[in-house]
Amino acid sequence: MTTQSVTPNGAWTDFQGVRCDGTAANTATTDLISILDTVEVPIVVLRRDFMLVWFNKPAADVLRFSPSDIGRASRDISVLAGFPRLEEQCSEVIASGVESRADFRDGDKWFVMRISPYTQGDRQVTGTVLTFTNVTAFRASIDQVVYERECTKAILDTVADPLVVLSADQRIQSGNRAFYTMFLELASLLTQLKEMLAGSHAFQPVEVDHVFPGEGQRRLILDARPLSLPGHSERRVLVTFQDITARKQAETANDLRAIAERKEELRRSEAFLAEAQRLSLTGSFSWRVTTDEIKWSQQLYRIYEFDQGMPVTLELIRTRVHPEDLTLYEKMVEEARNGGHDFEWQYRLLMPDHSIKFLHAVAHATRDQDGQLEYIASIQDVTGRRLSEEARDRARSELAKVAGLMSLGTLAASIAHEINQPLSGIVTNASICQRMLAAAPPNIDGALETARRTIRDANRASEVIARLRALFSRKDTATESVDLNEATREVMALSLSGLQRNQVVVRAELAEDLPSVTGDRVQLQQVILNLLRNASDAMSTVDDRPRELLIRTERDEDDRVRVSVKDMGVGFQPQAADRLFEAFYTTKNDGMGIGLSVSRSIIEAHRGRLWAKANDGPGATFSFSIPCRSAGITGDSHRSVQMPCVTDAA
Amino acid sequence: MDTLHHVAHSQRMKSRQKRSAIEPSLVTVVDDDESVRESLPDLLREFGFAARAFSSAEEFLASHCVGETRCLILDIAMPGMSGPELQQELKLRRRDIPIVFITGQRDETVRPRALEQGAVECLFKPFSDTALLEALTLALRVD
Repeated sequence: MTTQSVTPNGAWTDFQGVRCDGTAANTATTDLISILDTVEVPIVVLRRDFMLVWFNKPAADVLRFSPSDIGRASRDISVLAGFPRLEEQCSEVIASGVESRADFRDGDKWFVMRISPYTQGDRQVTGTVLTFTNVTAFRASIDQVVYERECTKAILDTVADPLVVLSADQRIQSGNRAFYTMFLELASLLTQLKEMLAGSHAFQPVEVDHVFPGEGQRRLILDARPLSLPGHSERRVLVTFQDITARKQAETANDLRAIAERKEELRRSEAFLAEAQRLSLTGSFSWRVTTDEIKWSQQLYRIYEFDQGMPVTLELIRTRVHPEDLTLYEKMVEEARNGGHDFEWQYRLLMPDHSIKFLHAVAHATRDQDGQLEYIASIQDVTGRRLSEEARDRARSELAKVAGLMSLGTLAASIAHEINQPLSGIVTNASICQRMLAAAPPNIDGALETARRTIRDANRASEVIARLRALFSRKDTATESVDLNEATREVMALSLSGLQRNQVVVRAELAEDLPSVTGDRVQLQQVILNLLRNASDAMSTVDDRPRELLIRTERDEDDRVRVSVKDMGVGFQPQAADRLFEAFYTTKNDGMGIGLSVSRSIIEAHRGRLWAKANDGPGATFSFSIPCRSAGITGDSHRSVQMPCVTDAA
Repeated sequence: MDTLHHVAHSQRMKSRQKRSAIEPSLVTVVDDDESVRESLPDLLREFGFAARAFSSAEEFLASHCVGETRCLILDIAMPGMSGPELQQELKLRRRDIPIVFITGQRDETVRPRALEQGAVECLFKPFSDTALLEALTLALRVD
């Protein structure tokens, strides 16, 4: 065990020499080495160039240094090779002369390695002394503490109660998770307070739940405000807690009540809807076009007479459609698939018992959340209405026949034809007569003959007029008490479908206390009908405004009753006002220009007046006014009502 | 003045008819109204035409006049075959006779329809002699 050959200076030689030769020359040194061998601390000496020069016995025992390691560089010694920064640290210690420490691990043992400068008599640092203090047990205990602390923390964090540790000056040392959660992240609270104090942000009130002993859980609003106190440089914060538990509970109760009410409302309106559908014979359905998913209301099942809840398909619906309407049905389905527009159509169902139902469908196109086409539609069973309409139309034509309520247009046409024939003869004969008399020599006999014919034709025309007079003077129906409101309502009912066809909206303002008049009910109705038709015709070309028609009855001055019909039509030129009532004056392509003339005759025969007035806005108002029954008309004067002579005006 | 002018005109027509052909052109009236049948042929003769009158379309078709008629004055509304029906019938028989319709119904849609179907004119009763003469002049010029 000699390192002599590798000890370059005398001091080491001496050191080794003592040990090697065992002379008593330096007993003190020997003693020192013995002492060093007995301490439990491994000690290793490295030269400046990191070569191992000496180690004590514990170094051999504990860290397995062997005598062969003497003279080797530290990096070549296995136990030191695991510590790569050793040379660097040793250099620092040699340079600074200040010891340093490092953790040193050997297997499962932990040491604190102290690196101290090695000085000789001349105070020159010639190497380093490494001492290794075994801290394995201590380290294990520290690990144990950390582990215990983590466990405790985990346990504390799972406890629902907030726990907090305060220092003697009431500063928070630590708190469990419940504490931080309950008091809403104290860290951010503190940040907020700091920001508020710095004046950068106002404090945002926070809501916190807290369980107070004996009080139960309360909800608090925590708010804070900085206080600046005059004469005090110290800044303080006012923190307020507002208990809003009661308010919150009330709000929750209100919310619950509102939800309950909404539910009830919904239930009621659903019931309402079902009842309304049942009463109005209207069903509803939705149809998702891409999937052909169809939802039907109960009433629709009843209308189609399918079992409630039966899955509905287009094919199933098709089985009920009237064969004559199948093409229409398929066209509608096709168009609906492609279109995406609202649509409306009427079709028929042929029921298993061979009865027919008339349905009116209105569909509204919409898109669901995914943008898919869906129709929401209502279908009304209009069978009853349809049948009553048909019955009404039948009754109307019968009534027209029975009452001889021939349209004035038709009447006028036949009157005109009747009169034009003899007139034509008169004109032609007069022309011939003229020519014969103008000829040289004049044909006197021929002229006489044609003059005779002219007189005959004129008499014929006069006969036509007499026949017309007779037509309007049916004495048996001439005088009765007529309620013009009722007469007006009848005429409106009769002409409503025609007016609707012409898209005319009729409004009626019928005076409640209207006295009755005396006259021929059918003739007066013909006049009203004529005025309504004229008004409707006058609006047939109107597209830029509503086709509105107002019919009004009212008490006029001097115990008269007035009926007026106001339209929004094309109106008339002021200069035409006088000609309107002339026979054969017309503005219509298909009119004879005789209706108003006859109407005026009828009204005048009732001792009344018929006139026209241009409206302030568009259109015209035609009115007639006739004396009411109580206006001194006796039974005799009833019969004296003069019936019109149409040709007077012609 | 007007009348004198027409008289002079008809005189010229009359002499032209007499000069241009041995027989004056035959104008036939078909009307169910007696006063028209009575007066119109006289006026036509005053104009210088030969004239015949029939009370119905059927009667006219059965007569020998169909081939000779140079112009037909035809009432629209008649019992039995109407004026327009007679017009169709003549077309089918390839009788290309110019037609002047006359009607007592002042229906404005009638006239364009009649002209569209090839009529020369459509006169509303009562019509003036001037209007009739103009229509005839037009009809015979076309012819």
